[in-house]
Amino acid sequence: MPEREVLELDVLFVGAGPASLAGAIKLNRLFKESGQDASVAVLEKAAEVGAHSLSGAIVDPRSIAELFPNYKELNIPVEAEVSEERMYYLTEKKKLPFPYVPPSMRHHGCYVTSIGKLTRWLGEQAENEGIDIFCGFPGTELIYDADTVIGVRTGDRGIDKHGEQKPQFEPGADIHAKVVVLGEGTRGSLTKQLIRKFDLMEGKNPQVWAIGIKELWQMPQGTVTPGYVAHTMNFPLGHDIFGGGFIYGMQNDILDIGLVIGLDYKNPGIDPHHEFQRLKMHPWVRSLIEGGEMVSYGAKSLPEGGWFSIPKLTVDGAMLIGDSAGFMNGQRLKGIHLAMKSGMLAAEAIAEAFASNDFSDASLNSFADKVNGSWLKDELWKVRNFHQGFDRGLLAGLMNSGLGLFTGGRGWGLKNKLPSHNGHELMQKGAAAERYADLEFDGKYIFDKVTDVYHSATSHEEDQVPHLHVSDPDICKTKCAEEYGNPCEKFCPADVYEMTGEGEDRRLQINFSNCVHCKTCDIMDPYQIIDWVPPEGGDGPAWVNL
Amino acid sequence: MKIAVLIKQVPGSDSPLRLNPAGDWIDENVVAYEMNESDSYALEEAMQINERSGGGEVVAVCMGPDRVQKIIREALAKGADRAIHIKENDHGETDPLVIAKVLSEAVKSEEFDLVLSGLQSDDLGMGQTGVLIGEMLGMATATLVMATEIQDRNIKVKRELEAGWFQWVTLPLPASLAIQSGLNQVRYPSLKGIMGAKKKEIKVVEKSDLNGGDSKQSLTNLHIPKAEKRTEMISGEADQSVGRLVEVLKSELRVL
Repeated sequence: MPEREVLELDVLFVGAGPASLAGAIKLNRLFKESGQDASVAVLEKAAEVGAHSLSGAIVDPRSIAELFPNYKELNIPVEAEVSEERMYYLTEKKKLPFPYVPPSMRHHGCYVTSIGKLTRWLGEQAENEGIDIFCGFPGTELIYDADTVIGVRTGDRGIDKHGEQKPQFEPGADIHAKVVVLGEGTRGSLTKQLIRKFDLMEGKNPQVWAIGIKELWQMPQGTVTPGYVAHTMNFPLGHDIFGGGFIYGMQNDILDIGLVIGLDYKNPGIDPHHEFQRLKMHPWVRSLIEGGEMVSYGAKSLPEGGWFSIPKLTVDGAMLIGDSAGFMNGQRLKGIHLAMKSGMLAAEAIAEAFASNDFSDASLNSFADKVNGSWLKDELWKVRNFHQGFDRGLLAGLMNSGLGLFTGGRGWGLKNKLPSHNGHELMQKGAAAERYADLEFDGKYIFDKVTDVYHSATSHEEDQVPHLHVSDPDICKTKCAEEYGNPCEKFCPADVYEMTGEGEDRRLQINFSNCVHCKTCDIMDPYQIIDWVPPEGGDGPAWVNL
Repeated sequence: MKIAVLIKQVPGSDSPLRLNPAGDWIDENVVAYEMNESDSYALEEAMQINERSGGGEVVAVCMGPDRVQKIIREALAKGADRAIHIKENDHGETDPLVIAKVLSEAVKSEEFDLVLSGLQSDDLGMGQTGVLIGEMLGMATATLVMATEIQDRNIKVKRELEAGWFQWVTLPLPASLAIQSGLNQVRYPSLKGIMGAKKKEIKVVEKSDLNGGDSKQSLTNLHIPKAEKRTEMISGEADQSVGRLVEVLKSELRVL
């Protein structure tokens, strides 16, 4: 049997997204400045950097400018500066422009960007500056010495569907590091373990997630204005479901169109993918994609909870950054600059920890102080009650958000902190309301999940244990079928979950090779019996420019 | 053994393929690239040959634009000792004769014992590179190689024939072998391999500096065939409908 590889490093970032890459670059520079001879590496489960990155995205260049002051001269792959902004309230057939868009929701000076391209670029910068990026290696376990995190174990390769070793079996590697930084992105699997083990959400609002689903459309030449930005509310979600649509113009006549839906909806019959398809049935939206061809598809969850849902950020030997910690501004629909900044602040804290050779929680916790003293907190503090306002619907949410502008973010203009609720607990039992009777999958503008998944270029080695662990599949055919009608079949945007068979043979089939790694099932399952763990290294979507 | 392995970067098999607006190449913006499948088996075979025969050097040779650096580094991480990148500006040469000439120009001065290539590329699938290079470098050549065994200054190879038949051939070295997928178990890069790859040499040569000659063939037009589904309901008496069915199978589908 091949031996387990062991690697000794100084700092390991898990997940090569904007948070980790910015953090690693910053840290590596600080080490160089101080003459500290320390190694920095980044672990990534995708086959290449950026292949699992998905966002809207409109990027506030603030953090990029801090890290690369001359970024305008560098060949940074943004699509276009925001050139035209629209906000619409959609009814089923009409669109009404918002009379007033508050400054905090304007995107002037920001860039329409493909996070996939941006992340690849950051990866190149990191490698050029001497940082190792290990692609195709998912972190599957945290390694502890007593209660101190001392490293990460990567996933085994070559395990068959029965859990037996195949001829090419290779055990995962143990990477030991003085500091492990979890920048796994939304609902990270190691992050989940760490938060649970150390109860890092104690005294915090529960995190609330949303799912974002998007398609890229290739439109006829000369028809898309790069930098065009439109956001929509109401149709197809209505007032009771948090979320809205986005339509961005990219280069080469690519139109980026998507929908964000709060994972705290009540109706178990809601199918986020189908809601997104309904958005494209709106006459105005349809007119925008008329004559085009859908070329890419993807989905990802995102943390919407805001400031009060950010966990305690450090433990002995480890810390949380980016979406793993929930650094996302729901009102501005932006998190990339916050993710990067959180990584950079973590880097400062780590550099200080190396100077004092102390990697305990008490030492690393200077990260939290740095967050509190930075613009990162200022920005999130002003919108700290944003998402909570939508618990009472769209109009209440907008009103709360509007009042917050005058009171520095107080809830309903008065309260410092509004509570939030676990989204999966809000799902109501009982028959689901039918919303998709009028949805026709024409294969041209409206697609079923399987067609969309094909366009995510997702692939998984078929002969492996499904990476979606359902701890009690009996619940699916008994309790869940009765109480919620198996909402997993609906909330999964990739057709992973399927109830098959009749009577005694009824069972949950997990089509794990469809999985686009959005983590919605792990978040939204009402019984919390689904555990998303990384599949074999390199498996998953092969996104290029989402 | 001193072994050159020719590797090519091709669109990933799961990438959706679209054509560019000019219709003469695919739209590279939506494609994730990877190492050609049979090339990765060739690379593995080269490393195994040297592991079995007690050492040597494996040199990965790759032609293409900057993006191919990704698979070059992958080859180095897996264990190739150094690499040669023949740099092109556009999406890449498509005339197999020019490709073979450029590659053989790039490697001829090094006097390799073996040149291994994948049987064919997953994008254009010409399947000519290994054979042409064998001719140009004056090497013994075998294709469809399923196993290799070094015997002093010869190499014995197992070739895959039709209908489950195999052929063992012994070739004198130096030799050019076109490797069939599946002949070995391709290894994964290790973490230390990835770290070590950075320190390995990648020699960059401009394609225009190598005498490849003029392209005699080029791609003028690509199109995606329209998938047409046609259903014919055969009705009538059993005798008649069987007759019609046989006719369809024979003359239209030509499966009988």
